[in-house]
Amino acid sequence: MQRRTLLKLGIGSAVVLAAAGAGVALLAPAWHDGRLADSGRAIFRAVAVAVLDGMLPTATAERDTALLAHLGRLDGAIAVFPAATQAELAQLLGLLAVAPGRIGLAGLQPRWEDASVGAVQHALQSMRDSSLALRQQAYQALRDLTNAAYFSDPTTWQRIGYPGPVAL
Amino acid sequence: MSQLPDPIRDGLARGWKVYGGPHAALPQRLDCDVAIIGSGAGAGITAELLTQAGLDVVIVEEGPLRSSSDFHQRESEAYPSLYQESAARKTADKAINILQGRCVGGSTTVNWTSSFRTPAATLAHWQTQHGLRDFSVENMAPWFAQAERRLNIGPWLTAPNENNELLRRGARKLGIEAAVIHRNVKGCWNLGSCGLGCPTNAKQSMLVTTIPAALDRGAKLVVQTRVHQLELAQGRVQSMRCTAVQTDGSAASGHELQITARHYVVAGGAINSPALLLRSSVPDPHGLVGRRTFLHPVVISAAVFDQKVEGWQGAPQTIYSDHFLETQPIDGPIGYKLEAPPLHPVIFASTLAGFGQAQTEMLAQFPHSHSLLALLRDGFHAESVGGRVTLRSDGTPLLDYPLNDYVMEGARRAFLSMAEIQFAAGAKQVIPVHEQVPGYTNWAQARAAIAALPMKPLLTRVVSAHVMGGCAIGADEARGVVRPDGVSWQVPNLSVHDGSLFPTSIGANPQLSVYGLTNKLATGLAKRLSGRDVALA
Repeated sequence: MQRRTLLKLGIGSAVVLAAAGAGVALLAPAWHDGRLADSGRAIFRAVAVAVLDGMLPTATAERDTALLAHLGRLDGAIAVFPAATQAELAQLLGLLAVAPGRIGLAGLQPRWEDASVGAVQHALQSMRDSSLALRQQAYQALRDLTNAAYFSDPTTWQRIGYPGPVAL
Repeated sequence: MSQLPDPIRDGLARGWKVYGGPHAALPQRLDCDVAIIGSGAGAGITAELLTQAGLDVVIVEEGPLRSSSDFHQRESEAYPSLYQESAARKTADKAINILQGRCVGGSTTVNWTSSFRTPAATLAHWQTQHGLRDFSVENMAPWFAQAERRLNIGPWLTAPNENNELLRRGARKLGIEAAVIHRNVKGCWNLGSCGLGCPTNAKQSMLVTTIPAALDRGAKLVVQTRVHQLELAQGRVQSMRCTAVQTDGSAASGHELQITARHYVVAGGAINSPALLLRSSVPDPHGLVGRRTFLHPVVISAAVFDQKVEGWQGAPQTIYSDHFLETQPIDGPIGYKLEAPPLHPVIFASTLAGFGQAQTEMLAQFPHSHSLLALLRDGFHAESVGGRVTLRSDGTPLLDYPLNDYVMEGARRAFLSMAEIQFAAGAKQVIPVHEQVPGYTNWAQARAAIAALPMKPLLTRVVSAHVMGGCAIGADEARGVVRPDGVSWQVPNLSVHDGSLFPTSIGANPQLSVYGLTNKLATGLAKRLSGRDVALA
């Protein structure tokens, strides 16, 4: 039912959302002063928990530490993107941080902070399967950035059996 | 800490003239005989030959000067510092991720060393379809031979790593020819970190060969500086305006540099070179600048084997197959070249599709994972016109490359070919990289499923490491941005010397094509400007 409603919202709403994006990002910047603001962190934290399901440490304290470090790496990764990319990403996060964008673009009802892993995964899958390029692009941006930032750190390599570079 | 020699730090200690970033402060003006924009394949060859002719050369590079002491084989360091847009440069619709170098040496500093002469079929097509009659195999051979000698290009004689051996094994089972790749290395340690900057200086990139040779002869190198605009008057380039940039490419506190020269050589790589011509409003009466930009769009097929593959280890691409290029006409349905790329955590995890538990299961198999890639030979068919480079409002380039049905139909055949080879090599699972593929456990299942896959952009994950065209050589001014000698049809003191010259894609990893062609052009330019005969090797 939910899915059908979203699809019916269709292209028109996506265009409206995209047009509103710049304004939204200014009102509630999710990327600000070279780092993720609280709203951006909430999005990327929820996405990380969903994308890295089974990969993150299971003990709560270790998991929180890993996620904190991951969000720090994301800050660093985004900060060195070209200005045009940062602006696009800021716009996407600004949209996802407000209810109309979160529901319309990501298909997620609860707030990012409150959403279950399953709900976020369902939202990601709906974006991935969408026939709307904007939703597919948003999914790939969130998912690719998450993987790139997470697996750039040596502490994550043991879990995937990568020994790291040969010492010279 | 590594005790390996570092020829760049040695050169700096010897007094190389390097400006910008952490080096000597950017002067306000520089005057020279020839200003070269970029420091990659075309720029390096050009700089070596022009300085050999005794010309005063300034090389301007947007990226930083990094060298073996800085190359720690870490993706987290290499992508932001050595690649355009942190290795996440994308086409306008975000459907293709592009790997391009942005550092001294350009893409040659980070490429995987695969060295192929321009294929005979490609040259023949240029001769017959693009009027470039002089571009025969025989005429080009001496230029390639010199580049091969200069850069120690030869067949890789060490055993291939398992990732590459699987390509050879699977192909042999199917009666498909696969051969050894030539590489530009000297004393290679077989580490597998080529894409992260060679830590042992074995890779004979521009960073350790031609650029040092030019600097030893007194050339000046300006780094972390972007050429913003060529200033034209009376039909000639009068000067060029450059801006200091931070390592992320953003402008650094207003430092500007004006360079005047007798001649200007644009060699910033396809995408950046046409963008500079567009920013400079270089006369373009036929609207060709930035058009026909080709990518060799690449699709990937991952596979899981019982044995360990450890695709991060050993020389990255050592076996290839041209079977699917050579068994069909060049101007028919799109053909593709098969290779086995290196696998490192960031590039592997971010290029594959999927998330959550499914991804965790896939990544748990990382040491047993193998990948093949198919690079699609674009630009030879009426339906393959490539992409177009335009400018964003901030003057930075944006490439729009529509992945049309002609290309995507080839991607489907490539998925089929790769899966068949991987199953023949003993794969227990094959995963064409596509958002709707869960993975297949046998060839019959894969064949049926791939035949029915929606081959759409974004759903099919496409990458590229070969950007070509956009400032094409043309037999006449209606067909190209530059003449067959590399000089602009409209502006007599402006040349283009990089991969943007190609009128089509190459159909093979393009570095040696850039070396060979720019060797020819720069040898001629050196003679015209200095009256002296020079030779690369």
